[in-house]
Order: sequence, then structure tokens, then C-alpha cells
Amino acid sequence: MSYQEKRIGVSVVSGLLILVSYCIYGVSRFKVVGTGLLTDLRFWATTMLVTIGLGIAVMMLIQIILHIYLAISSEVKKEIAKKIAGDGTCGSKSYQGRSCEDLEMMDKEDEMDKLISLKASNYSFGVIGFGFVASLVTLYFRLPPAIMLNIMFVSFMLASLLEELLQLRFYRKGIYHG
Amino acid sequence: MARMVISNNIRKLRFFQEEMTQQELAKKTGVTRQTIVAIENGKYFPSLELAFRIAYVFHTTLEEVFSYEMIKDTTNEESNHD
Repeated sequence: MSYQEKRIGVSVVSGLLILVSYCIYGVSRFKVVGTGLLTDLRFWATTMLVTIGLGIAVMMLIQIILHIYLAISSEVKKEIAKKIAGDGTCGSKSYQGRSCEDLEMMDKEDEMDKLISLKASNYSFGVIGFGFVASLVTLYFRLPPAIMLNIMFVSFMLASLLEELLQLRFYRKGIYHG
Repeated sequence: MARMVISNNIRKLRFFQEEMTQQELAKKTGVTRQTIVAIENGKYFPSLELAFRIAYVFHTTLEEVFSYEMIKDTTNEESNHD
């Protein structure tokens, strides 16, 4: 599994955890308070702001831990590669199919990464657009504005998850122009 | 409409360049090894610039590295006959 795949995998798991925890909290509060919660926009705004803040903090923390782990493991692999080479340099010898240079260039972004990112974000914008239209439809049918807010919020989170899952798929299955 | 199948000789060219590693080729062309692996396996078609860079590394022409074949798509024609 490449560096990009590991990074995306971790991001998907953390995003999923945040979405699930938001849903569990929302449903549990709804069970306690009842339908009155549907008109309490301040509650939903606070919950969403806290979720966004928590989401950013958790994502940053997990990415930092991942980078520390990868840095340590790549240093260990480099040392092993140097020992294999025997002359104190990495040379063309490799450890687990990766040379020292390979380990150093892990987090570099090139044209394939950019194309994958672009295509995945194209699809995710579609989900956001669909969520926006769906939220407008709920307003048209005079449903509580909390439903509209939740549809928009969840569609943003789902779009983000879809983008990452698509990136993972493109890395695995390949990506083509056009 | 005919379907285009693009293939490459990167593996062969690497072999003839004293078994150049994918990492060496990646470094010389300014991309990651992952991208070179994807190109070799036909999972990604590089930009024209990267294609020329690869050809330049092997001191050869683009046609020597990449080739294409036009395959007549018969599925549409068959469905038209039905």
C-alpha cells in the first residue's frame, strides 16, 4: 500500500467516525427532546460547528500520528537498505522493493495525483449539488429548516467521504483521461 | 467508432538500460515510483510532457516507448444490425 493510499485510508476512517458520531448524537438528542428540536436552529448550528471543529482537530491529530509513524518506519527501512548496500549509502539496493530515494519521495505529488484529486472532486461536487437541491426541496414542502440544514451538512460530509473513496479506487484500479 | 489501445515498452527499455529501476526512472522524470508503476501496468496514461520525458531518459523517440493500436468496435455495429 502506497503512502497516498495510507493517508486516504486514515482520512476515510476518521471522516466516517465523525459522521457516525454526529448522527448518533443528533438522534439521541432528538429522542430526548422530541420534535421541538427540529425548530431549534441554534442547537443544530452549535452541534455542526462543534462537529466541524472536532473533525478538523481529529483529522490533524491522526495525520500527525500517521506522519510520525511513516517517518519512523521509513528511517528504519533506510537503515536496513544501507546495511544491505554495505557501503553506508542507499545505492540501488532496496528493502521490501523500496530504495532510500523511494522512501524519501513518498509524499511528493505529481501529475497522476493531481488528476486523481481533480476527478474525485468533480464527483464530490455532484453530491454537494444534489444535497443542496434536496435541501431546497424540503423547504418547498415546508419541512422544518433543521432538516434542510442536516441534509446540507450530511451531503458535505458524504461528498468528502466519496472524494476520498474515489481517490482510493483510482489509485488501485488506475485512472484515464477523458 | 474504433477503440484505441495504448501500450508501452517501458519495462523492456528499462531492461536494456542496464535494468534501470522504476525509482531511477521516476527520479529522472520527476514523478513518483507509483506513477511509473501505473504507467507500466497501463493503469495511467501520462501527459505528453511526461511521455517525452520518459523517451528522453531512454534516448529514444516517443513511438519507441508508446504505441497504439486501433481496434474496430464491433459491439455497436452488431447492435445496429439487430
